[in-house]
Amino acid sequence: MNLRISALKYVEEIKNGNITTEEFISKTIERIQKVDSKLHAYLSLNDKAIEQARVVDKKIKSKDGGACMGMPISIKDNICVKGTKTTCASKMLENFVSPYDATVVSRLKEQDAIIVGKTNLDEFAMGFTTEFSAFGPSKNPWNTEYVPGGSSGGSAVAVSALECIASLGSDTGGSVRNPASFCSIVGLKPTYGLISRYGLISYSNSIEQIGPMARTVEDVAFMLNIIAGIDSHDNTTVDNQKQDYLKEIDAGVNGKKIGIIKEMTQEGVDKQVSSATNKAISNFEKLGASIEEISLDMVKYSVAAYYTITATEAGSNLARYDNLRYGYDFDLEGYEFNSYISKARRNFGPEVTRRMILGGFVPSAGHAGRYFLKAMKVKSKLTSEINEALKKVDMLLSPTVPVLPFKFGEKIDDPIALFLVDINTVTANLTGKPAISVPFEISNGLPIGIQLLGKPLHDKQLLQAAYALQNTVKLPEVPI
Amino acid sequence: MVSKEEIEHIAKLMRIEIDDHIVHIDRVQKIISYFDILDKANVESEELDVKEQTIEELRDDKYIPYDEKLIQGLKNYKGSYIRAPKMS
Repeated sequence: MNLRISALKYVEEIKNGNITTEEFISKTIERIQKVDSKLHAYLSLNDKAIEQARVVDKKIKSKDGGACMGMPISIKDNICVKGTKTTCASKMLENFVSPYDATVVSRLKEQDAIIVGKTNLDEFAMGFTTEFSAFGPSKNPWNTEYVPGGSSGGSAVAVSALECIASLGSDTGGSVRNPASFCSIVGLKPTYGLISRYGLISYSNSIEQIGPMARTVEDVAFMLNIIAGIDSHDNTTVDNQKQDYLKEIDAGVNGKKIGIIKEMTQEGVDKQVSSATNKAISNFEKLGASIEEISLDMVKYSVAAYYTITATEAGSNLARYDNLRYGYDFDLEGYEFNSYISKARRNFGPEVTRRMILGGFVPSAGHAGRYFLKAMKVKSKLTSEINEALKKVDMLLSPTVPVLPFKFGEKIDDPIALFLVDINTVTANLTGKPAISVPFEISNGLPIGIQLLGKPLHDKQLLQAAYALQNTVKLPEVPI
Repeated sequence: MVSKEEIEHIAKLMRIEIDDHIVHIDRVQKIISYFDILDKANVESEELDVKEQTIEELRDDKYIPYDEKLIQGLKNYKGSYIRAPKMS
């Protein structure tokens, strides 16, 4: 049985009776048992997966199977799946069991997806390598000495290494697109509000989104069809009129205008990444798109603005971890209120602790004008700049990450170097636009992804362009 | 440059105990110094991006009972209250 098949092919095979859900889920679990000790994509596994597969097989037999037909899907461990642990890769939530399903999870379950397990991440999704996971990093299946990207690193590894067909990650500043790029899979950060955040553990509510990750653009569209749309539990969701993202996915880019973001393609971009980007541009030209250079002056300040805003929101969101509602079992006796909470918070890892301190500092009286307010103004100006650009062109292109995947430990002690890894991805979050990373090249065994950023609620057009780009290259198979 | 004392003060207000000065104070100081780049952005005159929403667009002001089970799952739940350490 071929675990490499796409979601669409899987559904076809099941419908034709060539495979059963139980067989495919069993093979997937075997695969996880074989490779995950090396890769550490998963933090926990669903031990009822095979049992659930049998139930789905029965439904399929009586022609009552949902759209996912028992497809194995993994979920980032900051998204709630009822009755299972949701740890956020933090010791603070090591024993936290989700009391309900996130909307995205209930929608997948309604369509008979099998949730095979919960995937690793940087603690509370704060990081870009999974090195900040309290339970140890995930490894890049292309070369296990290299980081898989993050924070949804476990999801990207699981999809890339055939440990599931698709996964859900969350993207606050590139956390879906960055690991998708580093592991050579497709990752979409949809328009803000397209996917419900109900049941996603909050980090920076005003800019983050859950996003589908899969091995092909069509599979990402398939996932989006199931999980997107309005939800009464999340007032920021928009009505997408039940748009079909798969329909006309092969529409092509003939006659489309694509803007190349100058600030994301020149200075600080690795030579190999730059050359791959130029090839992608030329492939788009061959497909009939026209190319124009676009300058977004505010991109230089976007990373500082991003960290200021996210730290502020994180400082407020993390305040709930006071060990009274969540956290460890240690006795109240002998503690004063503040010292009890401080003691519990020693269990936050270094990055979360720093962001909490920053989150207290940047919006505080006396500093808000210099940091938080200015960051909000940069966000505002960046939004105007990009809105102007998107009047001239249909979408914008850049490499997803300006550098190639790097080795473990290479940037962990230099927070600024690590921050700059996401210079090309934070803009989509700060401005609420959809953006997708498409695998484009393997350079000396290391993946390079190309990012396309589109107009709000034009996720469908973005997927069409991503599909066209995907079909211009044939990439090698993951060597694990 | 923001002083280390100031960062320590904020950490205390956020109820964070500093146990590693390099990891918690020096790096925070380095990050805040990096944020100074915002001074060069020349955005003082920029209007903040505010989203307007009319009252009609908001959801109905309806009472939805909360899930008792969620409360019962909390540690130190005592039937009608949650026990917490003493405030000094």
